[in-house]
Amino acid sequence: MKLLIVDDSSVVRRAIERDLESGEITEVDQAATGEDAVRLYSAKLHDVVTLDITMPGMDGLTCLDRIVEINPEARVLIISALRDKATAIDAIKRGASGFLCKPINPSELKEAFKLLVED
Amino acid sequence: MNDKDIQVFITGVRRYFDSIKKDVSVVIEPPFIKDNDKPFLEYTGIIGISGKAHGAVCFTANGVMLENILRFLNETPINRDVICDLVGEIANTLSGNAREEFGRDFLISVPTVSTGQDVRFQFPPDGRNYVIPIIWQAEKAFLLVCLTQDTR
Repeated sequence: MKLLIVDDSSVVRRAIERDLESGEITEVDQAATGEDAVRLYSAKLHDVVTLDITMPGMDGLTCLDRIVEINPEARVLIISALRDKATAIDAIKRGASGFLCKPINPSELKEAFKLLVED
Repeated sequence: MNDKDIQVFITGVRRYFDSIKKDVSVVIEPPFIKDNDKPFLEYTGIIGISGKAHGAVCFTANGVMLENILRFLNETPINRDVICDLVGEIANTLSGNAREEFGRDFLISVPTVSTGQDVRFQFPPDGRNYVIPIIWQAEKAFLLVCLTQDTR
């Protein structure tokens, strides 16, 4: 299983990778910008993407639109500090499979990832 | 911005530090207003705010606290770049979480990070500067909320 972690914070990217370490994941890519994420996703079509929203350049919701254009079946879990319902609903309408708020709770992250993989 | 709005940020601070390690408690001292000099410490993450409010939210801390947080997160190696990344991410999280109360029109920028007392940011001259003191593992940090408009 291929995982793409998108966040402008390297600390967050590594924390997500550590939290999701398992035998199921065979390959992990990281991107610090939306632009890099779209490039990586179009090349590898990762099984699961975790995606931040507030990033320099292309924001996460625009990045989500691009990924869904490439693959309407993409499994994208938004992980954002933006703790308002309107943003979460918007992300789901645009094709996200789930929405988690920062600070990241490792148990919630693992559970959300498990649900995505089982879907 | 009023005293009631500050509670949103206090809730966010408690949530953030509880998420690092539940059994290491955070102490949040009573917020105060400091309109002139701002109590910047070694590292400061700054989030510009626009939309229904204008100004900035800053998280400022010394290196020791940030290094301790990184150790709890099992982050290695710990260096200046990683510390700057973390202080920006904490400011981002505390600002973004406030949208739970203020809604989607409380717009936050990506973080900028300053080191030392020389923080280059154009703070609103007519805003109230609320300072929330935070003590965690005997180290002090501050969350500064400097906003002009009422957020309701």
